[in-house]
Parts: sequence; structure tokens; C-alpha cells
Amino acid sequence: MVKTHRREMSVASAITALALVLAVAAPGYFSGENLGDLFMASLPVLLVAIGMTLVVVTGEIDISVGSTFAICGVAAGILSKSGVPVWLASAAACLLGAVFGSLNGALVAYLGIPSIVVTLATMTALRDGLRWATEGAWVQDLPPAFQWLGLTQTEFPFVAAIVTVMLTSAFAWGLGHVAAGRAIYATGSNPRAARLAGLNTSAVKWMVFTVLGALTGLAAVLNAVRFNQIPSNAGIGLEMKVIASVVVGGASVAGGTGRVMGTVLGVVLLAAVGPALTFLGVSAYWERAIQGGIILVAIAAEGIRHPAYRRLASAAASARAQA
Amino acid sequence: MSWRQRWFPNGEWVLLVVLAGEILFFSAVAPGFFTLGNFFEMTRFSVELGLLAVALTPVIVAGGIDLSVGSMMGLAAVSFGAGYHAWHLALPLAAACAVLVGCAGGALNALLIAKLELPALIVTLGTFSLFRGVAEGMTQGAVNYTGFPSSFLFLGQGYLGGVIPTQLPVFGLIVAAYVVLLHRSVIGRALYAIGFTAQGARYAAIPVARRIGLVYLLSGLVASIAAIIYIAHLGQARSDAGTGYELDAITAVVLGGTSVFGGRGTIWGTLLGLFALAVLQTGLHGARSVAEKELQVKNSQVAVLCGAILAGSLIVAGTNVWLLRAVGAGSRGSDGHPSPAAPRRTVIAVMPKAKGDPYFVSCRAGAEEAARELDVDLVWDGPTSLDAAKQNELVENWITRKVDAIAVAVENRAGISTVLRKARERGIHVLTWDADAEPDARDFFVNQATAEGIANALTGEASRLLGGKGEFAIITGALSAANQNEWIAFIKKRLEDTHVGLKLVTIRPSDDDRDKAFAETQTLLKVYPSVKLMMAISAPAVPGSAEAVRQAGRKDVSVIGLSLPNINKPYVHDGVVQTVVLWNTRDLGYLAVYASALVTGNKLAPGARALQAGRLGQIEVRNREIILGAPMLFNRSNIDRFDF
Repeated sequence: MVKTHRREMSVASAITALALVLAVAAPGYFSGENLGDLFMASLPVLLVAIGMTLVVVTGEIDISVGSTFAICGVAAGILSKSGVPVWLASAAACLLGAVFGSLNGALVAYLGIPSIVVTLATMTALRDGLRWATEGAWVQDLPPAFQWLGLTQTEFPFVAAIVTVMLTSAFAWGLGHVAAGRAIYATGSNPRAARLAGLNTSAVKWMVFTVLGALTGLAAVLNAVRFNQIPSNAGIGLEMKVIASVVVGGASVAGGTGRVMGTVLGVVLLAAVGPALTFLGVSAYWERAIQGGIILVAIAAEGIRHPAYRRLASAAASARAQA
Repeated sequence: MSWRQRWFPNGEWVLLVVLAGEILFFSAVAPGFFTLGNFFEMTRFSVELGLLAVALTPVIVAGGIDLSVGSMMGLAAVSFGAGYHAWHLALPLAAACAVLVGCAGGALNALLIAKLELPALIVTLGTFSLFRGVAEGMTQGAVNYTGFPSSFLFLGQGYLGGVIPTQLPVFGLIVAAYVVLLHRSVIGRALYAIGFTAQGARYAAIPVARRIGLVYLLSGLVASIAAIIYIAHLGQARSDAGTGYELDAITAVVLGGTSVFGGRGTIWGTLLGLFALAVLQTGLHGARSVAEKELQVKNSQVAVLCGAILAGSLIVAGTNVWLLRAVGAGSRGSDGHPSPAAPRRTVIAVMPKAKGDPYFVSCRAGAEEAARELDVDLVWDGPTSLDAAKQNELVENWITRKVDAIAVAVENRAGISTVLRKARERGIHVLTWDADAEPDARDFFVNQATAEGIANALTGEASRLLGGKGEFAIITGALSAANQNEWIAFIKKRLEDTHVGLKLVTIRPSDDDRDKAFAETQTLLKVYPSVKLMMAISAPAVPGSAEAVRQAGRKDVSVIGLSLPNINKPYVHDGVVQTVVLWNTRDLGYLAVYASALVTGNKLAPGARALQAGRLGQIEVRNREIILGAPMLFNRSNIDRFDF
């Protein structure tokens, strides 16, 4: 377990260390209200990151998720404003996300264009398209049933949590134990071998992009309904947060490795640090430096068993001994 | 090996065709595009990005990536500025200090990636935050080092022999060094081998760790040189230097045929990719202004055209098979775009800080109203998001196009002043609006409200709502946003002088993102339960903050701020938001164009005390500043009368 899940262990120990510091210095962090707020705030990143894990495991990447996120949110808003029931509008937004995802996937899988190039183009095109369509205006005057999907403010987080936990466990289990999940690993670790073994690797790639798009749409809806108006510039920089969580969680961008559990830990670490620093009274101006440092420490801990690290450590120890 | 495979191993010749196509297309469409002056200006704007792209090429060839180069520019810039101003070092020493910081940062990346064999993407993602964060921490986001001697600024703004931008030879030298390193040395061959297979390279007795370490060290070094040129170019050193440059640089490298999986790529491919992007961007601005001016088409048609060309050239990068289609997209575009021929009318070019921002969208409505009333042509163009360098680029573009008047909402005071002075020398009338440049770089400044006026209005409202005593917190935009930092400085001053009972407990960033303002406010309410007022000073932050207060059920907390009426109406009516401070943005756009037209028609002399601005009536002019009036306070009683 320790050997095969080294990155997960390393990130988990960083989270534990952070939690210990908080338990001593700012116990208020663990109030139910705060944890609930944190969960709701990181929900979009979590859902998109799960989809992104699949894409990254196949050896591809998608940086257009932020733009898709913005469009799906606005689409859900416009639809329910025009009288469509809110659940139908939400479903349509997820579908729209899936359409954008499958467009990316088709260009990558069937035309062989590198995914970074494809999604860079769709990121710009979708974002600018939305800007022209809305001219920066927000979607306002939404029907009252839109906020909280017609539920109450206290009910909605439970529903969102149930949906998220079910989806997360389904993907975590399915990726390792279902044939389609194994096909994703096979495609990522050696596409040629996978193909020769009879797998339709193009279909696998197309599918993971489509799933990512649908999850992005769902994330956009679950985020949008927490408010009573929808900004047209949502999700700027979302792709960076998501990819950071995925790679910190142990997925390799070269493909073939990565687990949903690791991604969840990556999301937790990155989402927990920012508010934690506020609770600890750290000035906002130093926050980014500390966040960067924590990422480096969390992944460098993995290198502890590396010979070069031992040399460094022993050099440091001897320096201390001399001093 | 044929000459084609020898010189263009990754099909870079495709880019040459695209580049030639772009140049032909834009020369036909945009007047003044195909001139030597324009060419040199374009290269000047590409130097910093070009340096990063060139330094990234061997990194990516060796199968790695460095996302930290843009942040390193910020850190090196701040080190340079601090070295010169705070530690009073001589210029060469300050530069050495910046370069040293660059090398140290590069060495940190090299240590973690080459020695500890950690994945480059995550390491540089970490240092991406770390470098930028240290730069922000050192300067508290707000310090802006300016006032460098003109001999230094010559490096970024001057011309050798009157024509060649000074930084161009520096760029040439570094490119030459990299060409030798990658294509003419044993080390270069080793990098390709490592990119193909690191394991294989190891068996071939290549010192893999040392070679990989070298390219990261060099990329830190080159990023710091880029930072020094950036400072000389814009005349200021701030912690946000080079934000987002890493993505643009990687785009140029990838477009230039370098494989992100390593083992393939050339320096000249990167240069071609860089220029293909630079020409496209410069050309599109020219083409777009022409389209809006004479063809009276909506943005959307040009957008489709741009999209087609951009998508076309991006696809080219992916694979050679797509060459024909991409060129086809380019030529199809030109068919639907007849070259213009219209009689000469007064052209007023107005630049917002950011085009998509609702604030500037509402200014635009007023600007168009004034242009219709006065029967002049309005060119409305600007960066899509806050970007000082892009503003300079656009002004250069407008100088080349010889517009009659330029009105700029300035993002970077020191940086844009040089180019605005150049515009005035060429006989173009220059105004600033929303935010000012150096006074000698413009004819008039259309002043919507002074920073002090805004700060006083905000603190006055806070004091009134808190009853003169209590704690409050500020949610700002980005930590390094110049406008917001100026307001914060005046707010702090006002607290010391007048409202001593008020206490500012903390300042949190929202990065102009509604959802982040929401989350920050949620945390603040828990950490500082005694805070009774949130002051949000970025347009999307006010509704974000208000929603957090409402959902927390904290009826004892008020929200005020600087924002737009429309997005706050629900909260003002609910009583969550008490007051929104702003000026009438539509009037601001109207006045900017009206004043520009008056100056162009020589109806507004520098000594004027007042002007008649159409429907706004008599407007006061004080010391070459056209004053729109005091900031307005929107509250429940009047907010419904405004729609922007």
C-alpha cells in the first residue's frame, strides 16, 4: 500500500500536517459550517478534476474546461429564464458540456491533432464566443426556482454531496475494476499495444473527453444554482486549478498512471490551504508563495526515498553537526 | 536527406506559408501594416515573449516543461526594482541581482526535476505560485518601482540608428546562442536524445540529470533577462510582470512544431510560431478597426474570420496534413472581406482597459451615442483582459493608421506614456479617460472621479453605517491592481485622519471573480465575527460578497462597494447591499468621445476652463482635467433609474 500509493500517502500526510496545525491554532476551521462551505466551494473543481483524471490517464489534456464551464452555466440560466423547468435546463447544460467535450474528443481521437492544440483553440474560441454573445452582461432575473434547484439552502448541499460522493466512488471503483476503466489505462500507457490487443483506442479517447465535458456541465450547474445571477466570465483559470489538483494527486501527464483517490486528495489539499491561511491570520500578500511552497513540499516528500534526497539530507545533517 | 527535411524537420515550412499569407492578407486589409516601422514595432513587442519561447524550446525538446517562467519574470522584476530603489544599488548591480535571482529560481527547478526526478509539470506549477507569491509578498502587491534613468529605458524604448529597437540585437544574440546550443553542439544532440528516451540516453552515457538541470537553469536566467527588458520597455517593475506569458510562450513553441512529448523541435520553428502569432494579433487589430470604421459590420463577423484563421493556423501546428485546409480558411476569409474605400472622416480611437468588462461595455454605449451625435467614426478596441503591453501595441497600431484622436483608459501609467508622447509628436490628439497617464503625455484627462473622492465616499458611507465605530474588511480585485491599491491607500489615510473609530481588519483578494469573492467573504465572516461591514472594491466582488452575507444569515453585516448598478439591484432591494458607489459610466464614455471631437476640431484649447458637452451641458475643466463630477451613490431609492 505504501509502496504502490506513494503519492497519495505523501499528499495525505501533507493534509494531515495542515490539519494538525489548524487543530491547535484555529479549531474553528473544523466547524461543520466551515467544512460545508469549503465542500461547496471546491465542488466544481472536484467534479471537473475527476473527468480530467480520465483524460490525463489516456495521455491527453483539456484546457478548455474553464470556457465550457462558463458557457454551460450561462446556458442553464438562459434556458430556465425562458421558462424551461430548472431540472430540464440543468440536463441540457450537461448535454451541452458533453457536446463540447465530444467535439474536442473527436478532433483529438479521430483527426490526431494534439489535445493541447485542440483545447487551446476551443478555450479561446468558446470564451470569446461567449463574450460576443453576452457582451459581458450577466444572466439576471432568474426564476426563484432556479436557486438551489428548487430546494432550500439547507437541503441543497446534501443533495450535491450525495451526487458527488456517488459519482466519485463510481469513477474511483470503475476506473480500476470495469473493462472500460482498464481500457483507459491501457490506452494511456501504450496506445499501440492497446490497439494491437483489439482496443478501439480512438473511441476510448473520444469517450473520456465527452465524459469530462458532461462533468464540467454538471459542475457548472451545481455552482450556478448557488447564486441568483450568473456571471458570463465564470471559470477563468479553472483549468489550472483542476490540472494542478490532478497532477498533485499523482496522475502523470504522460498517461497511464493516476487514480481518482489521488485526485480527490489533490483537490482537498489545494482547496483547504487558502482558507486555512486566512484562519491562521497569514497576510493575503504572502498566500500564493506559501501555497506554492506547500505543493513543492507535498510532492518532494515523495522523493524522500530517492538516493539524491538522502545525500542532501546527510549533507544538511553534517552541516548542522559542524555548526 | 533533402533540403526540406534538413531545414524543416517538423514541417515548419507550413508556418512560413501561413506567415506569408497573413502578411499579404493584412497588407491588403489594414492600411500602414506593411511598413518597416510597423515591422520593427511588432518585433519590439515580441522580444520578452520571444525570449521565454526560445528558452522553453530546449526544455520541451528534452521532454520537460517550465510553467514558472512568467512568474520568474515577476520575481526578477521586483528584485531589480528593489535592488535599484530600496537597496540603492547601481544599475548593473541591480541587473546582476535580478539575474542572480533568475539563476537561483532556475537552479531550484533544476534541483527538484533533475536531481530528485520529480515531474517537471508539478514542480514548475509549484514554483509558478512560489515565485509570483514571493514577488507579491515582497511588494505587498502594491509597490510599483518606477523612475529609472533614461539611459536604462533606452534599452526598451530607444532605437539604434533611429530605426532598430534597442532590444532587438540582444534578442538576436540570445537566439544565436540558443541555436548553437541546440543545433550545433553535443549538448543539443544530447537534449534530443533525452527527449526521445531518457533511459536510452542514459545507456548511451549521456549525463541526463546534468543536461536537464542545465536547460532549467538557463530558462530561469533568460526569464530574468526578459524581465529586465520588460522593465526598460514599460518603465516600471511590478510583481505582476509577465503574468500569463508562460502560456503564450508555450503556444509559440508548440505552434513552431516542437512536440510536447519531447525529441522534436527547432529554434527557428519557435521563431516562426512566435511571428505567426504576433503578425496575426497586430494584423487583426488593424483589420478589426477598419471593419468597424468603414464597413459598419458588427464585431461578430470579424470574429468569425479571426476564429477561422486562428483555428486554421493552430491546426497546422498539429499536423502537416491540415495545411491545405488552413490556407483555405485564410483565403476564404479574405473573399468575404472587400478592401475598403471611403471618404476621409474624423476618426476617434477609444481604448477601454478591457473590452469584455461590463463597466467598459456600458461606457461604450455612451461613446457610441456621442459618435452618432457628432457624426464621427468611432474605433473602439482594447485588450480582452487587463494587459498593459497590449495597450501599447494598440496605440502603436493606431499611430500607424493615422487616426485623428486617441483616448485611452490607462492601465499602466509609466508604460504607456512614452508611446502616447510619440502619438502627439505625429500630430495625433491624445486624451486619457478613466485612469490617467503622465500629464505631459496627453492633451486632456477625462476624470470621472478622483481616487481620493472614491475613497472618501466609501469611508464616509462605512462610517455612517457603522455609526462611526467598528471593524470592517476590504475585498479587493487582484492584489496588484493599481487602481484598487490607490483607493486602499487613500482609505487608510482617511481612517487615520478623520474616521479614527473605524478599524480595517484585513484585505482579501477576489481576482475580479464573483465566486472567489463569495468564498473569501464566507471565510472572513467566520474568522472575524466582529466585522460588521464588507467593503468590496471590484465590480463582481460586491454581489459575491453580498450573497455570502445573505446565505450566512448575518443581518448585522452591511455590504458596500464600488460596482455596477444592474448586478447589485437584487441585493440593494433585499437590503443586503446598502450603497454602491460609482459614476455614470455611460456619461463617461459620452464625455470621452465628445471631448476628443472638440479637441480634434480645435474647439478646446489647453487653457480652457469649461466646455459644452452636448446633453451633459457645461462641464468643468481644471488644469487640463475634464471633471465629470462627484461619484454617485446608488441605493434603494435611485438604483432602478440606471441600467448598466
